[in-house]
Amino acid sequence: MKCYLGIDVGSVSTNLVLIDKENNVLFSLYIRTEGDPISAIKKGLKLLKEKIPENAEVVGVGTTGSARQLAGVITGADLIKNEITAHARGVAHFIPDVKTIIEIGGQDSKIIILENGVVVDFGLNLLCAAGTGSFLDAQSFRLKIPIQEFGKLALSSKQPTIISSRCTVFAESDMIHKQQIGHKTEDIVAGLCQGLARNFLANIAKGKNIKPPIVFEGGVSENLGMRKAFEEALKEKVIIPKYNTVMGAFGAALLVKEMSPQKSKFFGFGVIDKDIKCTSFQCKGCPNQCEVIEARIDGKVMARWGDRCGKWSNLNMNNI
Amino acid sequence: MKITFAYWGNYTIAFISLFQKLGINVIPPEKTNQQSIIEGAKISPEMYCFPLKANIGNYLTAIKKGADTVFMVTSLSGSCRLRYYGIIQDKVLSEAGYKVNFVILNQNFIDIYQKLKKISGASFWQIVKAVYFFFKKLHLIEKLEKKAQYLRPREKIKGQTDQILRETFPQLEKVRNLRELTKLKREIKKKISEIEIDSKKNVPRIGIIGEIFTVTDGAINFGIEEKLGKQDIEVHREMDVTYHLKKIICPWKDWQIQKKINPYLKSTVGGHGRDAIFEMLNYTKNNFDGIIHLLPFGCMPEVVIRPILEKIHQETGIPFLSLSLDEQVAEAGINTRLEAFVDVVKNHYNNKNH
Repeated sequence: MKCYLGIDVGSVSTNLVLIDKENNVLFSLYIRTEGDPISAIKKGLKLLKEKIPENAEVVGVGTTGSARQLAGVITGADLIKNEITAHARGVAHFIPDVKTIIEIGGQDSKIIILENGVVVDFGLNLLCAAGTGSFLDAQSFRLKIPIQEFGKLALSSKQPTIISSRCTVFAESDMIHKQQIGHKTEDIVAGLCQGLARNFLANIAKGKNIKPPIVFEGGVSENLGMRKAFEEALKEKVIIPKYNTVMGAFGAALLVKEMSPQKSKFFGFGVIDKDIKCTSFQCKGCPNQCEVIEARIDGKVMARWGDRCGKWSNLNMNNI
Repeated sequence: MKITFAYWGNYTIAFISLFQKLGINVIPPEKTNQQSIIEGAKISPEMYCFPLKANIGNYLTAIKKGADTVFMVTSLSGSCRLRYYGIIQDKVLSEAGYKVNFVILNQNFIDIYQKLKKISGASFWQIVKAVYFFFKKLHLIEKLEKKAQYLRPREKIKGQTDQILRETFPQLEKVRNLRELTKLKREIKKKISEIEIDSKKNVPRIGIIGEIFTVTDGAINFGIEEKLGKQDIEVHREMDVTYHLKKIICPWKDWQIQKKINPYLKSTVGGHGRDAIFEMLNYTKNNFDGIIHLLPFGCMPEVVIRPILEKIHQETGIPFLSLSLDEQVAEAGINTRLEAFVDVVKNHYNNKNH
């Protein structure tokens, strides 16, 4: 059986999705990156190896997410794609007439506008984290409420309080103030969700043509309070697709399947036990002073990137 | 007296030769890089627009090498913050303890002529000859940049064009007279003709608009033209030094532009604000496949016109990306946006043609 693997390595979570030729998901995984993408990828592959059907053969690997380059190098990916295209492709598979995608992950949030299943416009957060999962994570930690129960608690609120959400730090001081003058926790939590939705629509989605059907995905879409907040702010139904937390990886798998590589460059599951190291150095060759990153597997240089002129990235790796 | 000035993309080469021809001792600014930007931003006012910080960074590298005079061209009649650049930079440097002499040149030919004459002591003929040589070099640089925009998406061996440019510009910097320049021109022509290209290849076209310093200096915009070229996109850009000088010589150009953009903006907003709207309308009319708007963080004219550009994008459906650049921007973020935008542009292009 031929399978395609999609790997999405983000700042907070690392997701793997394995699909077969009929686009059925055979395996999906959501683990925390915990600041170490290499270990997260290794761990993900290890878990996949345990679960993978015996007759399955990986004939294509696609990587996406902020660590897509690194993930691509250490797994031998056939396709390295940006998050926006991958997410749009994944969602369009489940909801072909989707017009707007709201994706909120750990460190970034994006809006994607589609027409006929094709991306026509997009926006990414630029300045601040006050519109992302980390913001909720930080606040749930402060309130000592597990993030999993955060959403449910928000739903129980009848009178959400208004919390300024322009900036994470100000939101926190506002929240402390609201606690001290006696607001209920669930009202504050619901207020936070509303603030985050408001902030998203005011910053990232500003000037974008938001039309239904609207799809909400990414790690934060698991949060019931956020779903409700978006529905209220947009006054539209918000659809949560299947596999909402691993959509990027699913999209990457679909994209690599569509590309149908002749022969996959996938290194196999052997990399799990190998020693993978990344180092960086500053090239002093010209005033550009690019930071070059070097990936080594078992001491052997696999790839270099980050230079503008191609002096390092074009080096023939076999000669080193 | 050892003079220096702000780095400005490949055009720096032409400016160096202008001052050298006048017999002024020049310490050329080093190419802007992350380090020099950080050094410059450290002593500059936080909320000032980004080019000022980059400029200060350039001066610092040259001052370390012994420069004691800074030439700064400002626009005293303009209505953006470039007007105060000379004065602010002078203040920033002196407050940080650097003792340099600041020569503020207005964008006015008589003023520049008088100041250059006074400083260099050159005769009228010498100045004419130096300016002539400056324009010769400038034209060659601009022509090479334009040629590269065409070649990059079509070359068969990726990166060949940029390799040639990287070899050529340092050679051009060393050229001291017209005879050498003609010889070098011939060599460049030969090298470029040797690049194998696929001239029948259809490629999507992107127009780059925005603030002149950010769109023309590859060191500031993370080499956006190279990056797009590598992803098989033909880049077009109106802004360069010649464009700017032509507009100073022929002020009625502004009226012509104003006439065309009247439905969107009824007055000037300073800088090249009107030009960006005009260019976007033009590119849209000429069936381009995408527009990239570049601006330095804190650039007033470009921030003012950005909603207008977004409106044109909504009306016409042409893909549009606006990137604000400053010392805080990470290259990885820019790359992600560019990659995604290239996908959007290619989809747009394929839908249009099928």
